[in-house]
Amino acid sequence: MKINRFWSWLFFGVGALYFVLPLISTAEFSLKMRRGAYTPDAYWTVLADPRFQQTFTYSVLMALATIAFGVLLVVPTAYWVRLKLPRWRPVLEFITLLPLIIPPIVIVFGYIRLYNTSSWLPLTGSAMGTNLLLMFGYVILSLPYMYRAVDTGLRAIDVATLTEAAQSLGAGWVTILTRVILPNVAVAVLSGAFITFAIVIGEFVMAALLNRPSFGPYMQLLGANRAYEPAALAVIAFAITWGCMALIQFVSKFAPRAPGAQH
Amino acid sequence: MSLAWLGVMPFLLFALLFLVLPTMQIIVGSFRNAAGEFTLDNIVNLFQPSIMAAYWISIRISVASALLGCLVGFLMAWAMVLGGLPGWLRSPLLTFSGVASNFAGIPLAFAFLATFGRLGLVTLILRDWFGINIYAMGFNILSFGGLTLTYLFFQIPLTILIMTPALDGMRREWREAASILGASPFQYWRMVALPILWPSLLGTFALLFANAFGAVATAYALTGSSLSIVPILLFAQIRGDVLQDPHLGYALAFGMIVITGIANFIYIWLRARSERWVK
Amino acid sequence: MPEPFLSIQHVRKSFGATTVVQDFNLDVEAGEFISFLGPSGCGKTTVLRMVAGFEEPSGGRIVIGGKDVTGLKPNQRNIGMVFQAYALFPNLTVAQNIGFGLKVAGVARAEIDSRVAEMLDIIKLPASEFGARYPYQLSGGQQQRIALARALAPRPKVLLLDEPLSALDAKVRVSLREEIRSIQKKLGITTIFVTHDQEEALSISDRIVVMYGGKAEQVGTAFEIYNRPATRFVAGFVGTLNVLEGRLGNAGKVQVGSGEIVLREEPADVRSGDIVSLALRPEAIALGRRAGDDAVLAGEIADVHFLGSVIRVRVRAGDSIVSLDTFNNPATPPPRIGDKVEISFSSGDVMLLN
Ligand SMILES: Nc1ncnc2c1ncn2[C@@H]1O[C@H](COP(=O)(O)OP(=O)(O)OP(=O)(O)O)[C@@H](O)[C@H]1O
Ligand SMILES: [Mg+2]
Repeated sequence: MKINRFWSWLFFGVGALYFVLPLISTAEFSLKMRRGAYTPDAYWTVLADPRFQQTFTYSVLMALATIAFGVLLVVPTAYWVRLKLPRWRPVLEFITLLPLIIPPIVIVFGYIRLYNTSSWLPLTGSAMGTNLLLMFGYVILSLPYMYRAVDTGLRAIDVATLTEAAQSLGAGWVTILTRVILPNVAVAVLSGAFITFAIVIGEFVMAALLNRPSFGPYMQLLGANRAYEPAALAVIAFAITWGCMALIQFVSKFAPRAPGAQH
Repeated sequence: MSLAWLGVMPFLLFALLFLVLPTMQIIVGSFRNAAGEFTLDNIVNLFQPSIMAAYWISIRISVASALLGCLVGFLMAWAMVLGGLPGWLRSPLLTFSGVASNFAGIPLAFAFLATFGRLGLVTLILRDWFGINIYAMGFNILSFGGLTLTYLFFQIPLTILIMTPALDGMRREWREAASILGASPFQYWRMVALPILWPSLLGTFALLFANAFGAVATAYALTGSSLSIVPILLFAQIRGDVLQDPHLGYALAFGMIVITGIANFIYIWLRARSERWVK
Repeated sequence: MPEPFLSIQHVRKSFGATTVVQDFNLDVEAGEFISFLGPSGCGKTTVLRMVAGFEEPSGGRIVIGGKDVTGLKPNQRNIGMVFQAYALFPNLTVAQNIGFGLKVAGVARAEIDSRVAEMLDIIKLPASEFGARYPYQLSGGQQQRIALARALAPRPKVLLLDEPLSALDAKVRVSLREEIRSIQKKLGITTIFVTHDQEEALSISDRIVVMYGGKAEQVGTAFEIYNRPATRFVAGFVGTLNVLEGRLGNAGKVQVGSGEIVLREEPADVRSGDIVSLALRPEAIALGRRAGDDAVLAGEIADVHFLGSVIRVRVRAGDSIVSLDTFNNPATPPPRIGDKVEISFSSGDVMLLN
C-alpha cells in the first residue's frame, strides 16, 4: 500500500509539473514586454488593438450563432430519436462521431470545392454566404459534444412520459419542445454550448481557409510578428477556456439526475 | 407506414450537405483528373518522396503523442482513481483536464514557445541554473520531439477524461477475488484489469491518433511551414496550390481520411475481438 | 473441544478513531459451518475481510491450521471467498473463471480442465452448456454458483462467504443456501458465512455468531441462540419475541396485568417491587388453557394475521401485546378481533431479560 501511494504521487507529480510549467512560463513571458520589469503592457497592447476587438467580436458572434443553430438542430433531433426512432440512435451516434475522425481541414477543403462561386450553391461567393458556411462548419465540429451532451441530458428524464403528459394537456409539438423538453435539458444544452464556445472562439483552420476575419487567424498573425503579445493572448485564451469549463461544472450542479445514474 | 422518420430529415440533410458530401467530394475528386475522368494518377503521385516523408512524420508524431498520451494519462487517471490519492484531488484534476483538452490550437503553440522555445522559461532555467542547454543537445520545439511534447498537453487530459469512468468501473471485488485466488497484483493486471480496460484504451488511442493527425493550428503556429507534416502541406496547398496540381490536394486529403479511417477500423476490429464478453 | 482449525484471537479493528471490531474471539473446528449474524454495520464483513487478509487487524491474531496468518497477504492464505455479487471476472468465460486460481498457481492445463469439469459437476451446471459462457450470459443465481465453484477450485482450507445470497430473489436464495450447505458438507471445508438474514443463519449453520456493535454477543448452535439467548440483544434480534412488563413480588412471583406468573428460578439481581421484563417466543404461548401450562393470562384479541399453515394472533394482555402462533385448522374459523380469550404458557419457557 505504501509503495502504491508512492507511485501514485510520482505519476501525479510528474503530470502536474508538465501541465503547470507551460502555464507559469506563458504567464511569466507575457509580463516581460518591458525590459527589466514585470508589467501587463502586452495585455494592454493586445486589448487596445482594434483588430483584436474586431476579430474577437466576430468570433463571439460566430460562436453564439453556432450555438443557436446547433441547439435548434440537435435538440429536436435527439428528442425525436429518443421518442420515436430508438433504432436510429446508432446511426446518429455514428454520424456525430465522424467529425472526430475526419480532420476539419478535409471538411473545409470539401466546402471550398463544393460551394465555390461556380457551384450549384455558391455560398463562398458572398461574405454573408461564407459566414454562413463557416457557421455550418462549426456546427459540424461541435456536433460530437453537443449531441452527446443533449442525448445524455435526455436520458436523465423520461421523455416519453413527459411528452404524453404534455399531449394529454393539449400541448402541440412546439410547446412540448420549448416548454417541456428544453427546460429539462437546459443544463445539458448549456454544457454543450460552453464547449462549442470554447471550440469556436479559437478555431483556426476553417476560418483561415474560408478567409474570414476571426480570432484564430488573428492570433496566428500576431504570433508570426510579435514576441510578447502572443503569450498574453495564450493566457487570455486559457482563461476563456477555463471560464467555459467552470461554467459547465457550475451548471451541471443543477442537472436533473437519472434514477440510478452516476453522473 | 409511419412518417416518424421525417423528424430526423432536417438533421440528416444538414449532415449530408456539410459533412458527408464535402467528404465525398474529396474522395471522388482524388480519383479524377482535371477533365473529370477517372484516374489513379493522383493516388500514384502521392508516392513521391516529399509527400511520403510528410505522411511518415505525421504518422510518427500522431502515434508517439497518442501512445505517450495514453500511457501518461492512464497512469495519472489510475493514480487518481485507484492509486490512493486523496479524494479532493479528483475534482480539480478533472476540471483541469476539461480545460487542457480544449486548450489546443494557436494559443497552445504560444504557451509552448514561451516554455520550451529558445527563450522559453524552462529552456532558460535549465540553461542558467542547471547548465543544461537543451537546444545544444539537439532539442527543438519546431521538430518531431517538440511537436509531440506540445500535443501531449491536450492528449494526456483527453485520456484522463475518457479513462476515469472506465477506471471507476473497475470493481474492488475483482481485485480482491483475484488476490484471494492466489494471483499477484501483476497477474491481476495481466489477466483481468488490462483486458477489461483494453477496449477503452484502444478507443482512446484511436481518438488521440486522429486528433493529432488532423491538427493544423498548433503545428502551423509553432513551426510555420518549416515542419512539413501532412495537414500543413494540405493547408499550404489549399491556400496557394503549392503542389501545382489541385487534384493532388484531393489525394492528399483522401490519404488523411484513409489513415484516420484505418486507425478507427483497427480500433473497431480490435474492440470487437476483445469485447466478446460485453453485452 | 478438539484443537480449533481456525482461531480468531482478540482481534480488533479501528478505522481512524472509530473502532468497528473489538476483542473478537472465535474458534472454528475443521469442517464446521459458522454463520455471522447481525444487523447492518455491526462489523461482520470487517471480521471476514480480516480473515481473508484484505484488512489488517489493529490487534490480535488469526491462526489457520496451526499457522499464524495475521501478517500474510490474501494471495498467500489459501482461502476461498465468495462475494456479495458481481465478482466474477467479466472478461473470462465460466470455465476460465473457475480455473483462474489454478492457472495463477501454474497448474497444468489438463488438470485445470478436469478440475473445472469436476467443479461444474458439483454445482450442477453442465460444462457443455455453461463452460464457454461469459458472466453476463448467466442469471444471478448461476453467477453465484460459479463464484462458489471458482472459490473452491484451488481446494482452499477455509471458505468465506459474505452475504452471497442477498442479491438473489427469495426462491433462489433458499435453494442455493441448501446447496451451499450440502456442498460444504460433502467437501468438509471449514466455512464462515456472513448474513443478516436470521432464517438463513438458523437453518444451515453448525454454530452461529451473533454480532452487535463490533462484538460477538453470543456463539452457539441455532437451538441455543434461539432458546437460550445470552443477552437481551440476541433475544430481540433472533426470532420474534414477546416482552411482558411486570412487577416482581415475593418468591419469584411476577404480576402481569391481572395475572400472575411464578418464575422457576428466582432472579438474582433484582429486588421485589422492581419492574422486570419477561420474554417469550410466540410458539411457547397457546390460545386458551393448554394442558400442563402453569401460567395463564386473560386478554383480548387485538389482531389476526392469516399466514397459511400458521395463524399469528396478537393478544392484548394488560399493558402488553403478545404474539402467538396457532396452526390453521380448516374445521374451526380463526378468532375474531375483540374476542375475550385466555392465553397460557409454561413458566419454564419464560426468559428474564435484564
Ligand atoms: N474502510 C472503512 N473505513 C471506515 N469505516 C469503515 C470501513 N469499512 C467499514 N467501516 C465501518 O465499519 C462498520 C462495520 O462495517 P461492516 O462492513 O463490517 O458491517 P457489516 O456487518 O458487514 O454490515 P452489512 O450487513 O451492512 O454488510 C460500519 O460502521 C462501517 O461504516
Ligand atoms: Mg457486510
